[in-house]
Amino acid sequence: MADKFGILAKFDTPADIMHAAEKVRDAGFKRWDVITPFPIHGMDGAMGLKRSWVPRFTIVGGTTGFITGMSMIFFTNAFDYKILIGGKPLFSPYFAFPVSYELTILFSAFASIIGMFILNKLPMHYHSALKTEKVAEMSDDKFFLYIESEDPQYDDVKTRSFIEGLHPVEVSDMEK
Amino acid sequence: MSAERDASLPNPTKWLLIGAVGLIISFIGMFVDPRMASFCYLIGMIFTTSITIGMLFLVMIHHIFDAYWSTVIRRQAENFLAALPWMAVLFIPLFLITYLYKQDTLWIWMDLDHELHGHGTVGTDPLYLKKTWWLSETFFWIRAVVCFLAWIYFARTFRRNSFSQDEDGSAEHTYSSRKHAAGGLIVVALTWSMAGFDWIMSLEYHWFSTMFGVWFFANSMRAALAVLVLVAAFLVAKGPLKGIFNTKHLHDLSTLCFAFTVFWAYISFSQYFLIWNGNIPEETFWYNFREEGMWYGVSMFLIFGHFLFPFLFMLQFPLKTKYPAMVFMACWILFMQLFDLIFNILPSLKVHGHTAQLFHQPLGFLWLAASVLGGIGVLLWAYWTSYYKVKIIPIRDPRIGECLNHNH
Repeated sequence: MADKFGILAKFDTPADIMHAAEKVRDAGFKRWDVITPFPIHGMDGAMGLKRSWVPRFTIVGGTTGFITGMSMIFFTNAFDYKILIGGKPLFSPYFAFPVSYELTILFSAFASIIGMFILNKLPMHYHSALKTEKVAEMSDDKFFLYIESEDPQYDDVKTRSFIEGLHPVEVSDMEK
Repeated sequence: MSAERDASLPNPTKWLLIGAVGLIISFIGMFVDPRMASFCYLIGMIFTTSITIGMLFLVMIHHIFDAYWSTVIRRQAENFLAALPWMAVLFIPLFLITYLYKQDTLWIWMDLDHELHGHGTVGTDPLYLKKTWWLSETFFWIRAVVCFLAWIYFARTFRRNSFSQDEDGSAEHTYSSRKHAAGGLIVVALTWSMAGFDWIMSLEYHWFSTMFGVWFFANSMRAALAVLVLVAAFLVAKGPLKGIFNTKHLHDLSTLCFAFTVFWAYISFSQYFLIWNGNIPEETFWYNFREEGMWYGVSMFLIFGHFLFPFLFMLQFPLKTKYPAMVFMACWILFMQLFDLIFNILPSLKVHGHTAQLFHQPLGFLWLAASVLGGIGVLLWAYWTSYYKVKIIPIRDPRIGECLNHNH
């Protein structure tokens, strides 16, 4: 069944899904995820997730913002149209600092949001999980785990029996 | 009820001896070179006092926010509070030297006949005459006593509440501490700023900066947090806190260190920037003295060493959760904190009308090292003495369970 997106398993409690996630992680699956109505502390570790790459976007954004602030003030006040105010130097990092500092924060925030969108592949207008009728339970009081058929280890029969071995309440297929 | 004396942990008496040696050398210095040695003594005394006051702030912040992650390390901050009465004792020599030797040894305005370089004496200085109501000698000493009494009162209250709770487990102690924290934060913030104005800013009484108290606060917080990181790392390495204090706690502590790094930079920069931008001679002269000779290099070292390097270092998550990295950073911050105090205090010393350099005589290093060592010795003596008397963590604190399971 090549047009199957994956296999979906339902769990009743956060503890159950944590243990299930640990087993899936240890089995070495790559393309899988859990869907829970609220964040569960420790799930990152149970899923074997590494630290997010967003901070790298942030530092690049922040550095760009700082340089932008400094060079913008240098360009406008001391280069393009020289303005002498109160006997101050045409350019000084002191008075350029507050602006550079705020641009650092602004650009960091933009970069973080953009980085988060890129890493999460957002905007994502369609996901197979939205197609199942269980989508209501996903945002209410049940906990789900799915393994995609794209996973290199995926095998229709073996993966299904593996998932059943996690003791879920219910197992179902996900359409593409 | 006391923790067993562990042979691998330091002996308090040893620290008292180290402190005594340091203090004796710096007292000898007061006879050899009274002014330089007194300034160095002032630096050493403020350095150690700022660590204890920072601890007092941390305990109060813990209580006012009903925080839970810091419960595990709060006891160590309370142990440091035991040093506050001894800091008051360390202050007495400053009083004595101005009485027994010369009134203008440290704060030149105490002597109305003190010659100002090029324009008369303090007694005829209009800028002094306008400030006589605040800068009167009796009032100055009274203020110092009031400050110390207030700090000791709050320190004792928090210690008593916390230790009694170990005995009876009553939640009343937590409520009492929370109420005291609410009042104490205001009182200690005001008195600590006042101490900064009196002890450091009035060394050069022409100068004024309303931000100075905030700078003093930021500095003491940085010192206290650095010491707390060192103590935690030490106790984890030696065993007592192993398995109790985890890397999540360390991460939170490091994050506070990082936050106060930014806060210190923000305050220091704002103070400089406003004075630079205003460009009024009655304010700028203070910074002009601090650009003479080697002080220019010191101020650059502060910008990059006390802000930029710690900022970039602690910006990185992996470093904030590793003991060796944070121990290095804490030592670095403490060293730079001392430099910052030197930068703020020592240029106020005028030798024949010129700003004192670091140092005119090589012996200056000796007086400074001796004073700092003396203060640190007394501080750690008080800490370890208190440490052996009480439990390692507040075991009956309502928040301790949550804190031990701190996991995010």
